[in-house]
Amino acid sequence: MAYPYRHESEVRVMSEHFGDPEARTLDGWRRRGGYEALRTALGMAPGDVVNIVKDSGLRGRGGAGFPTGVKWSFMPRDDSRQPHYLLINADESEPGAFKDRELCRWTPHQVIEGALIGAHAIRAKHVYIYMRGEFFEPAQIVARAIEEAYATGMAGTDIMGSGVDIDVTLHLGAGAYICGEETALMNSLEGRRGQPRIKPPFPAVMGAFGRPTTINNVETVASVPHIIRNGAEWYRSFGTERSPGTKLFNMSGHLVRRGNFELPLGFNLKELIYDVCGGIRDGRQLKAVIPGGSSVPILAADEIDIAMDYESVAQAGSMLGTASVIVMDDRTNMVKQVRRMVEFYAHESCGQCTPCREGTAWLARILRRIEGGFGRMEDLDHLLDLGANMTGTTICVLSDSAAAPVASSIAKFKDEYLALIRRDDAAAVAV
Amino acid sequence: MAEQVTPIRGNPGFAGETGEFAQLTEADVRGSGYVGTRDTAGGHPGSACSHPYQVVPRNPDAMLFEGPYRERLDKIVSRYPTPQGALLPALGLAQEIRGHLSADSMAQVADALGLSPTYVRGVATFYTMYNKQPVGDYLVQVCTNVSCNLCGGDDVMAAFLEAVDAEAGEITPDGLFTVIEAECLGACGFPTAVQVNERYFENVAPGDVPAILERLRAEHAVAGETVTPQANPYAGGGDTPPAAGRPAAADEPATGGQG
Repeated sequence: MAYPYRHESEVRVMSEHFGDPEARTLDGWRRRGGYEALRTALGMAPGDVVNIVKDSGLRGRGGAGFPTGVKWSFMPRDDSRQPHYLLINADESEPGAFKDRELCRWTPHQVIEGALIGAHAIRAKHVYIYMRGEFFEPAQIVARAIEEAYATGMAGTDIMGSGVDIDVTLHLGAGAYICGEETALMNSLEGRRGQPRIKPPFPAVMGAFGRPTTINNVETVASVPHIIRNGAEWYRSFGTERSPGTKLFNMSGHLVRRGNFELPLGFNLKELIYDVCGGIRDGRQLKAVIPGGSSVPILAADEIDIAMDYESVAQAGSMLGTASVIVMDDRTNMVKQVRRMVEFYAHESCGQCTPCREGTAWLARILRRIEGGFGRMEDLDHLLDLGANMTGTTICVLSDSAAAPVASSIAKFKDEYLALIRRDDAAAVAV
Repeated sequence: MAEQVTPIRGNPGFAGETGEFAQLTEADVRGSGYVGTRDTAGGHPGSACSHPYQVVPRNPDAMLFEGPYRERLDKIVSRYPTPQGALLPALGLAQEIRGHLSADSMAQVADALGLSPTYVRGVATFYTMYNKQPVGDYLVQVCTNVSCNLCGGDDVMAAFLEAVDAEAGEITPDGLFTVIEAECLGACGFPTAVQVNERYFENVAPGDVPAILERLRAEHAVAGETVTPQANPYAGGGDTPPAAGRPAAADEPATGGQG
């Protein structure tokens, strides 16, 4: 048995060397074919690298699923507006997501190699890896890997004799979920409060330090060396037509086997839970699944016979997000878990927009009241009303994310809310 | 199909010995073997913001940005087009040295980067990892967000509070521990995740808490015997005059956090 669990359905591209300490080192990584893709990419014109990634159909793995090659093509195609920046979003803090930490701590050179290829593609001379401050241990590993890369000419000036110069800097955040939002991340990198910016201007026009900037998730750039090495066609042989490639599925909650499993996009969610992860712990029954991290609508147990790709999950009324699957068994107190998620958003709201700042706090208060047995029948309407006013009304989607589990849980698990509210009725009569 | 692995709880809280990484040592999993010893002066500028494990209790009166720490700061600043870009790493460095960010520390960071103290305070208060008040030598952060919560995060939190006999956020009388609830730590597959200063402890169950605290106490005792804060020439006493041009801002009271 290797890294924590393996399953025969897996297609291990990025995760092949998880759990192998030797793969962390530069030598170990090169012995496993590492940095060959970088050499290939540096020998190509930037536009050609963009085209391969475009052809591969790779979509951003940070949650939004925007085609990576297309994003890269928004950057200026000449050097008239230099410097350009590539920011690697390693601020992983979506509840349920724990894939970027694994990529950084087991395969730091995979991340750096992918970042360097991305930087070359967009003509960036500087890559910042923005990692959440809590990831102290992965940060040390990436820090050492950056030092190794510089010492061996894989980073800095004239990389591998190609004439291309790219600097790599590790930057640590300091505890703010919102900094994972790309414009908040740029503000944070600039030494400001991590508050999202209004778009436009888009990052490719005016991003970090006022310069053309692209922001890619860790898993996105970790996929890139494999695409360069094996070609766009090969990458498209995994996954679906519109969601090609492999994806790390971060499985948490009441599962027999939790952890990261790398599978082709489009893998069936039911099979993922019952076969790959061995089903529900302690022989319990499934109650609910959050398929893409805490920001996406909840699916009921009878809604999970779906393909895990961007389109199919959206069709089922939720989102693939970061493919962070949170599984809840039949003992789960849905109101409590929704309350806990909403409290998180209330804590993490940056406070810029009134619907979010006020709305998240009120949602949390009302949910706490219901959970404590003091809910009122009209509270459910209040929650839905608040949620509707919080959706699509703010600069970023944190507000929408807080409203999503509330609305979906009321739609699908209304009985649990009602049971708690009725208990209050009984208690009130008793008093 | 693989059977469910029964956790082995020989060295609780460390994922490598709970059946998840059965064949690996703790150094393998944490990567500490690969990282090795890191230079206080920061090594390559590209990774200067990352710091070594802190085994020595921090000194709230230590001088900031002197000697190797000045070198670190200069390296960090060199990586950004504006000095302001270095603000978060610089605040992190100040906290690394002193354990928390006092008004004085923030003023010194402002001075070093040419920013106003008010601006720096405004930024610092946005971020939860900056301790605006002193904390125990070990800041224990228990994740109680959804994935850990489903697997008993609240019980782990309660177990820590009971074991250290303190309220959340309080420093224990011996100065060793402050226990707080944390938002998602990004280790959802290894619940419950607990961050103790720089380290993650994973797969923590309530029953593991006493052994984790025992381990921390033992480590603290060893660190206290072998290295004292005073042994660090750059961890000077409170008699150090403030740098020129910087207001001698009143520091928050130091705690008995010297172990």
